[in-house]
Amino acid sequence: MDNLNDLKAIWLSAKTDDLPSSTEMLRIVKRFRDQKLRKKWMVIIMTIALAALMIAAIFFNKPTLVTTYIGQVLAASACVVLAVSNIRSIGRFYKLNDCSNKEFIAFLEQTRLNQLYFYKNTQVWGMGLSSTGLLLYSYEFVYQNMLWCIITYSLVVVYILVFFFVVRPRGYRKEAKKLNATMEKLKELSNQIK
Amino acid sequence: MPGFEEIYSLYSPQIFRVCMGYVNDHEQAKDLTQETFISVWKNLASFKNRSKISTWIFRIATNNCLRALEKSKRVMTTELPFHLPDVPPEETQEDKLRFLYNCIAELEEIDRIIISLVLEDLPQAEIAAIVGLSNGNIRVKIHRIKEKLATKFKDHGQFE
Repeated sequence: MDNLNDLKAIWLSAKTDDLPSSTEMLRIVKRFRDQKLRKKWMVIIMTIALAALMIAAIFFNKPTLVTTYIGQVLAASACVVLAVSNIRSIGRFYKLNDCSNKEFIAFLEQTRLNQLYFYKNTQVWGMGLSSTGLLLYSYEFVYQNMLWCIITYSLVVVYILVFFFVVRPRGYRKEAKKLNATMEKLKELSNQIK
Repeated sequence: MPGFEEIYSLYSPQIFRVCMGYVNDHEQAKDLTQETFISVWKNLASFKNRSKISTWIFRIATNNCLRALEKSKRVMTTELPFHLPDVPPEETQEDKLRFLYNCIAELEEIDRIIISLVLEDLPQAEIAAIVGLSNGNIRVKIHRIKEKLATKFKDHGQFE
């Protein structure tokens, strides 16, 4: 096109004087730094602290039944599963400092696949471990009183059933729909960059 | 290595124009420019000079633009290509610029990035490094995009 220079002249006429000054921008960046990954870091710290607390409780409380030990270990394992999956995810983000658009789209596609995997597998495992842990852990506190035993276990079982068969599928359907739409768009972008 | 303020003063107008070419929305382009410089500030100390600093900054900016499709319904739901008005644009510079943005918005996402970088006068090798395609591939794409844009401009009474 002979008129590329005309287009460049039009392009460069865009007004940029309402952009923040460099001093203002410095103030803005200092306020927003690390916000993106803060949620992930919080999950990691909270789950590690919770797992440590549960293990410490075994030594301080000295439970009498083996079911309590197993329950605490299973619940702590669920926390570790959640922490590890977030640590792996955060590690991928930190490797992303300098990559081309092609690599970035591949990264986004992999992130979405990992998210789907998390909902389909990791979350089920984590919830399975913590639910079983909760059932076993509660036993020592109620097994001598049949009424308390029935009330506690009914509540715990109802909570687990509602979570597994109502809350989780609903959340999964909503999330999967969004993720699949994003995956479609990413595939389209991926085709453009071949 | 230049300091952050120097980098910002030098590149922010360019980054804003590239983001504007991609999203065709002033406020969103400003947000993307801001996000780009937040990333630049955070990672400047670990920047290892494996690429030119401009390549690095444009990579961050264009990746942010691509990421916008996940955050913004506007970019997600815009049905492209939309139809340009049949009436030729007015002759003011502002209208010409709006018309140019609309023409670019009709292109596919990667093509929008490529032409914005061409209009910013980046060498083809640098555009190839930003997008992640070979030099040859970029050359072909640039040629096709220019043809598409020229047709649109000619169809609407420009460049006669």
